[in-house]
Amino acid sequence: MAAQAVEIAKAGSLAKAPEGIRWAAESVYKDVFRTPVEKDPFEVSLEQKLDLLLAANAEALRVRGVKKSHASMRFAGEHRFLANSEGTQVESETTMSTAQVRATAVDTRTAKTRYFSAYPKNIGYEHIEATPLVAEATRVGEEAVAQLSARPCPVGKKDLILHPSHLVLTMHESIGHATELDRVLGMEESLAGSSFATVDQLGALKYGSELMNVVCDNTMPFGLGSRGYDDDGVAAQRWHVIRDGILVDYQTGREVCHAIGAERSRGSCRADSWGSIPIVRQSNLGLEPGAEPLSPEELIADTKDGIYIEGIGSFSIDQKRYNFQFGGDCFWEIKNGKKGAILRDVTYQAITPEFWGAMDAICDERFWTPYGVLNCGKGDPGQVARMTHGSAPARFRQINVGDASK
Amino acid sequence: MNESAAKEAIEKVLNLARADDVFVRMGGSAFHSTRVADNLITQNVARCNVSVRVDCAFGRQHGSAITNVFDDAALQAVVRRAAAIARVSPPDPEYMPPVPSEEAARYPEVARSYDEQTACCAPRWRAEQIVEATKPVEAKGFRLSGAYATGSGFTALGNSAGLRAYHRSTHAEMHCSVLGANGSGWARQASNDVAALDASAIAGQALTIAEAAQCPADLEPGRYTVVLRPAAVFGLLGYLWSAFDAKATDEGRTFLRGKLGTRVCGRNISIGSDPSDKRSPGRPFQSDGLASQKLAWIREGVLENLIYSRYWAARKKRAATGRPANTLVAGGDSTVESLIRGVDRGILVTRFWYIRAVDPMRASITGMTRDGLFLIERGQVAGPIRHMRFNERLFDLLGRVEQLGVPERVSLSAMVPAMRVREFNFTSATRF
Repeated sequence: MAAQAVEIAKAGSLAKAPEGIRWAAESVYKDVFRTPVEKDPFEVSLEQKLDLLLAANAEALRVRGVKKSHASMRFAGEHRFLANSEGTQVESETTMSTAQVRATAVDTRTAKTRYFSAYPKNIGYEHIEATPLVAEATRVGEEAVAQLSARPCPVGKKDLILHPSHLVLTMHESIGHATELDRVLGMEESLAGSSFATVDQLGALKYGSELMNVVCDNTMPFGLGSRGYDDDGVAAQRWHVIRDGILVDYQTGREVCHAIGAERSRGSCRADSWGSIPIVRQSNLGLEPGAEPLSPEELIADTKDGIYIEGIGSFSIDQKRYNFQFGGDCFWEIKNGKKGAILRDVTYQAITPEFWGAMDAICDERFWTPYGVLNCGKGDPGQVARMTHGSAPARFRQINVGDASK
Repeated sequence: MNESAAKEAIEKVLNLARADDVFVRMGGSAFHSTRVADNLITQNVARCNVSVRVDCAFGRQHGSAITNVFDDAALQAVVRRAAAIARVSPPDPEYMPPVPSEEAARYPEVARSYDEQTACCAPRWRAEQIVEATKPVEAKGFRLSGAYATGSGFTALGNSAGLRAYHRSTHAEMHCSVLGANGSGWARQASNDVAALDASAIAGQALTIAEAAQCPADLEPGRYTVVLRPAAVFGLLGYLWSAFDAKATDEGRTFLRGKLGTRVCGRNISIGSDPSDKRSPGRPFQSDGLASQKLAWIREGVLENLIYSRYWAARKKRAATGRPANTLVAGGDSTVESLIRGVDRGILVTRFWYIRAVDPMRASITGMTRDGLFLIERGQVAGPIRHMRFNERLFDLLGRVEQLGVPERVSLSAMVPAMRVREFNFTSATRF
């Protein structure tokens, strides 16, 4: 296998950069990282897991109008050992746990699905036990039924209040991917695309409003990107990519960080398995909470004409991460400071810097919640990575909304 | 893994399992890829993996487990695990016993899709192809980014009802974007035979589009007649099959509910599957061992078939269809150029990107154009325009197709024509 790797590397040198590959220096480590786990999910009996899932399904199906329920759990145990010719030898054992229930309501005209998740975390089965999966199954069942007869999304400009369970994907697509330095440099151009946040704008690009502070943190407890070291052998770090609305840094690996004059990688290079090559992947990345005390209820009370969105729905963005259109999982009308009826089929469309520039309020740290992403696709051949994005509910003024398929 | 080795491994696992029903499925692949960005090779990888999945059933209680370790202890462990899961699982009313051995007699003859040269293609050969393809691009001051991939794969099945099946294939694919300072082009080719791939021609196609795509102008979004190149049509059809599941449809959970046997799009649209089609050969059997079939899904605009699993087919007293072995969209004899000549004012689309379902119950989708979008005026390409987002209902769109091109092989398993479509719905623009 080593001989094959050498043969492949030699072939690659037929079209190499004149200056060759430059790897940023990094200390040598001998270390072990383990996800703190109170209850190993692989030791919990199948019967116990099945009982919980079947109970969640039964609760959802008890709701009149719910015709289908799907409950699932997923656990991932990864044991990695990284050794390089510099002398680094690091071992990591991570454990990921998540569970979900989805309820589908069907009537004579249409069908609507709503979900609840014990959001993916690097943690043990105690996460599942602490999550009211069965009780929430009833709520999401009722909200799926309510969407069947809900009014469709109005067309026009609305103030949006986005819950962290929704912002997770908006951040992932419009900030996370756009600040991966390999993309920015064109190394993903042929498949995933590049980025509008180009290197020449570092320190100057107005990404959003002054309230916008985005921090990457691979030291974050329970983060899906937290495993001590990346697959370049770089120790986990915490840093701002956007400060006070200005682009100030990127997510980097040792091969690419020199392009911004950095002497050290930010440690964002990961492979999705033993069979994949490490590439720059999103870190745990989050929107910092607001500095002033502000609850979601107060934010809604301060909003005259808006829509409140929870959960992930349809999502699409161009290859430079400018033009996007997102849906959600459940939507409520906000009228004169009050959360009103459920709406259906809400989508919103924006250009990334204009959207983040329209953010005028973020709830405080009491409401900051991390949500994990399990299915981040990138690379060629494709790889699937996991990471966590946290935020507090935030408001975005006068965003285009509408039933996009009209 | 060759046929005899795969079947030997399957017999071994079948002999280890003690259950009412046992189903063993093996899959393996060797994937080799050379990737380039900005005219330089940036990534060169090879990956091989073989796995075995074991399904055990006791009555209607069933469980599955999978491993990629093939020593005796690992195989015994995976069988024990599948049986243990089955024992604690509640009876599944939708469980179907293994496909009987007689099914193998129904497997269609398919064109050979395995080529030894493609399976053994060396990294240096791929690199040389890319280097040669890049030279004319670089000479014109453009940058090429893409990948050249080759490899092989196999699937082998065996069950306690005596069914045995094996199929292998190879793949060779190159795709590339060619970029200038203010616009890009793209091209792709896929084949089971690496000798059929012409890297320089692919790069040349992308370069031609890129040269024409520089410095795009603004155009107001709205409804336009579009000429969609085959790759663009293929992108739109990506969500087609999600509406075809018969059980979900009968339960009211897809757009096609209540529409079987009715007109769902234009008379000029026919979409079928045929594993024996020589242009795009399919696998002769499905993942459960059922024979792959030649089927018309939409014939002259009428929905003729849905995807019936064995369980739902038995419930509905119909024949099981399995999933489409490939996607064959009937075309016409028009070239892309002749489709363009029929447009007074419209848009030529190279391809789409990031297409997602917006509302599956309306078959509505959204996405962006990518790598070359052009204004058409008075039957000719007038110039590049900035990329736009579309929102469309897929079957409505297939009802507005004015003319079809000659089908092209847009992936290993799809033959799709270019289309001219009226009133295509662009809803917003981006900044490049």
